[in-house]
Amino acid sequence: MAMNREQTAGASIRISRLEKRFGNVSAVDGVDIDISAGEFLALLGPSGSGKTTILMSLAGFEFPTAGNIVIGSEDLTYVPANKRNLGMVFQNYTLFPHMSILDNVAFPLKMRGVAKPERYARAEEALATVRLAGYGERFSSQLSGGQQQRVALARAIVYRPRVLLMDEPLSALDKNLREDMQLEIKRLHAELGITVIFVTHDQSEALTMADRVAVLKDGRIQQIGPSRELYERPANLFTAGFIGEMNFIGVTVESVGEAIAVSLPSGEHWNVPSTSAVDPLQAGQKAVLAVRPERLQIGGEGAAFAFHVKLADIVYAGSALLLIGHLPDGTEIRARLPGASDLSTLTPGATAVFSVPKEAILLYAGGAK
Amino acid sequence: MKPSIDKGSLALGTYVYAVLAFIVIPLVIVIPMSFGQNDYLEFPPKGFTLRWYAEYFSSRQWWSATSLSVEVAFLTAICASVIGTAATYAMVRGRGRLATLFQILLIGPIIVPHIALAVGLYLFFQTIGLSGTVPGFVLAHTVLALPFVVFTTTAALGKVDASLEAAAMSCGASRFSAFRLVTLPLILPNVVSGALFAFIISFDEPVVSFFLSGVRYKTLPRRMFEDIEQNLTPIIPAIATLLIVLSIVVLLGAHLMRSRTKN
Amino acid sequence: MTSGIRSQFWHSDGRRLSGLSTLLLLLPFFAIIAFVFVYPIGQLLWISFTEPKPTLDNYARVVTNPVYARVLLRTLWTAVLVTGLCVILGFPVAYYMSRARAAVAAFVGVCVILPLWSSVLVRTAAWSFLLQRQGLVNSGLMATGITSEPLKLLYTQSAVVVAMAHVLLPFMILPIFGALRSIPDDYMRAAAVLGAPRFRTFLEVILPLSLPGIASGSLLVFLTALGFFITPALLGSPQELMIATLVSQQIREVLDWPFASALVGVLTLFVTLLALIFSKTLRFDRLMGAQ
Repeated sequence: MAMNREQTAGASIRISRLEKRFGNVSAVDGVDIDISAGEFLALLGPSGSGKTTILMSLAGFEFPTAGNIVIGSEDLTYVPANKRNLGMVFQNYTLFPHMSILDNVAFPLKMRGVAKPERYARAEEALATVRLAGYGERFSSQLSGGQQQRVALARAIVYRPRVLLMDEPLSALDKNLREDMQLEIKRLHAELGITVIFVTHDQSEALTMADRVAVLKDGRIQQIGPSRELYERPANLFTAGFIGEMNFIGVTVESVGEAIAVSLPSGEHWNVPSTSAVDPLQAGQKAVLAVRPERLQIGGEGAAFAFHVKLADIVYAGSALLLIGHLPDGTEIRARLPGASDLSTLTPGATAVFSVPKEAILLYAGGAK
Repeated sequence: MKPSIDKGSLALGTYVYAVLAFIVIPLVIVIPMSFGQNDYLEFPPKGFTLRWYAEYFSSRQWWSATSLSVEVAFLTAICASVIGTAATYAMVRGRGRLATLFQILLIGPIIVPHIALAVGLYLFFQTIGLSGTVPGFVLAHTVLALPFVVFTTTAALGKVDASLEAAAMSCGASRFSAFRLVTLPLILPNVVSGALFAFIISFDEPVVSFFLSGVRYKTLPRRMFEDIEQNLTPIIPAIATLLIVLSIVVLLGAHLMRSRTKN
Repeated sequence: MTSGIRSQFWHSDGRRLSGLSTLLLLLPFFAIIAFVFVYPIGQLLWISFTEPKPTLDNYARVVTNPVYARVLLRTLWTAVLVTGLCVILGFPVAYYMSRARAAVAAFVGVCVILPLWSSVLVRTAAWSFLLQRQGLVNSGLMATGITSEPLKLLYTQSAVVVAMAHVLLPFMILPIFGALRSIPDDYMRAAAVLGAPRFRTFLEVILPLSLPGIASGSLLVFLTALGFFITPALLGSPQELMIATLVSQQIREVLDWPFASALVGVLTLFVTLLALIFSKTLRFDRLMGAQ
């Protein structure tokens, strides 16, 4: 598009030992993140995990208790928000209701002393970038939520900031619009080469959109990495449970060697590959065996790893079929099968056999929750 | 490198507290003055005496003015809250046909200068013999207090789900018992706080009282007006102190009432 | 019995009051307003147009007699001054209150609201203590050496303006506060992150969005100030009457009812007209809601 790629190329960000305390409460507790220029990073976590505080510190609305924030080569830790030259999109659009759409988009240029004809020309151009050319005369109350959020995007990129911060920008939109906007934002990111930091509590949004996802809990980073890594090999039990669905079975480690021998609550013994262990394990300790419901397969009596489950419920949900059952000790096991699977022989109360591919097994130190 | 408190906030804070001092000091200053020993008002007051309070409580003139004001305010509170609550209920639960007229007449007593109403009532009440009488004062003050009662009860009634009454009626209650047993208990705190406001509006009302007071029947504000106009004695600060305490008590009462609705 | 209950419940209008009950409930309200508000003011207006004979003479006298015309102008000018003073004093307080922590905002709110509910006479009396010859203001001025002898402060138009502003300030602060409080914090943040320094944020975002509150407060203060009686009567000079004090004088001393009625008519019609024109701006619910 018309935007000049070199001028808008993203900046790298380095967050080091960031801490923020409110009284005795630590909202952010020693966070380090390195974000490379042009990267799309999602901060994912439940509410109170510190993700918003990190974003507020990046934007300059809050000053951290300790640590620093370097963007490009500049230390911005204590620079006021209006001198940071970052773009930001808020959850509730925050278009100024007393200004026209064009004036809203031109506002940051006005603050930068750009002359009127040029700032309107550039605002029009930015509106065209978000596919809202010709909407400049309207007011925000005349636009739909999705359009308002696109105007907010235009306003955040019109002055070509090198970093774009987004604070749950899609949570106020309904599902269909949200998916459109996800694509829109990804397209803009690719087009402008801008560095994006995206705060969300919606894991599928984080996994779909971001190059890397940082999972936060209690002000600390639990795991940071590409979506696939996060989903397929969660670094700890929190991430394993927080992202996607997961079956957890409490086991005891019997021996550690070429393979790891564990005993299941049912009394069975499994020799799982040593690559399954995410945490280092020792013989005799308690561990948790984790496996995703969609990796379970129905049948396969002869398989090396199988759960014998008493079925409690079969839920048909269109594209998928959810089977809920219990191991003899009561541990719940869920399996997710394609919706078209033929299960005519299975009814609640029957015993089903779920085979587990060996590469789907993960082992964590610690007791079952 | 950490920024300290900026000058802008400091300047704003200073200005704001100066304005607050301007608002509060004239009220607060009467309190020490009411304990001064001398016959004339001075600041800082010399000595400490309860003489002016004693004089107020023992003066027949002040007492009769006070008891008239209390009586009028009490009756006004009752009339305004009953009439106001009935009208509010009719507007919120009715078909809203008279809404525009109701709103205009409700705002009227706030918009139209009190001096106009006072002069009009002075003329009218003289011809029908209500001037300087308790019913005359109560009628006039009820008109002035009604809008405030309606505002407070509208806020509460709007939050009470109409289907609660429908539910009560489906259980066999009449419309009136449904109101009395279901709606009224829910809005009662606001009705009471509206009545408290009506009380204080009547008790402090100076302009209409000024014109309606006869030679014999004078409300407390009217007596105070004469005393301030003729000779400022420290009995005025003593009464003012008592009135400020009364305002605080009423406001606190109204606040406690309203915070109960929220729970 | 059962069928009665059922029909009441299933009837589509079951939740709504019937027309008759509505009317009965509203009757006391309309009766008292008609009897104690509409009629007496209507009677005054009638007199102003019909006595001693049906002409506009009484009104002509108000406007053409330079003494009375000057009273009208003084009243208008005083109301303008009071309104201006209230904006200057009140806006920063409302702004501070809307952005302060809850405890601080509550403290400021109490300081604003307490005077609103204390007697106008108490507040006016306080100003006459403060402004008299040996009052606090004079002794303060002399102690700081600004003047060597006490100034005549009481019974001047300045005393009236200051005391009226003091009495009416809450009516300015509360609507502005209501408007400011409804501006989300994110607007300020958005303006800041888009590059606006604090003062620009104030000028470009906060001030325009608080204009409805300023308009509402100004109108309320202005209209109330026009008809003010107690404060000018007690603190003003008898040579500098305002319209309300002139009305009082005409009735109590001159006993000229037709002329006094015309004065009341001018005031009432002017105030009502303004209130009707700006009826959207006046937000009474906000005034009470903020308490």
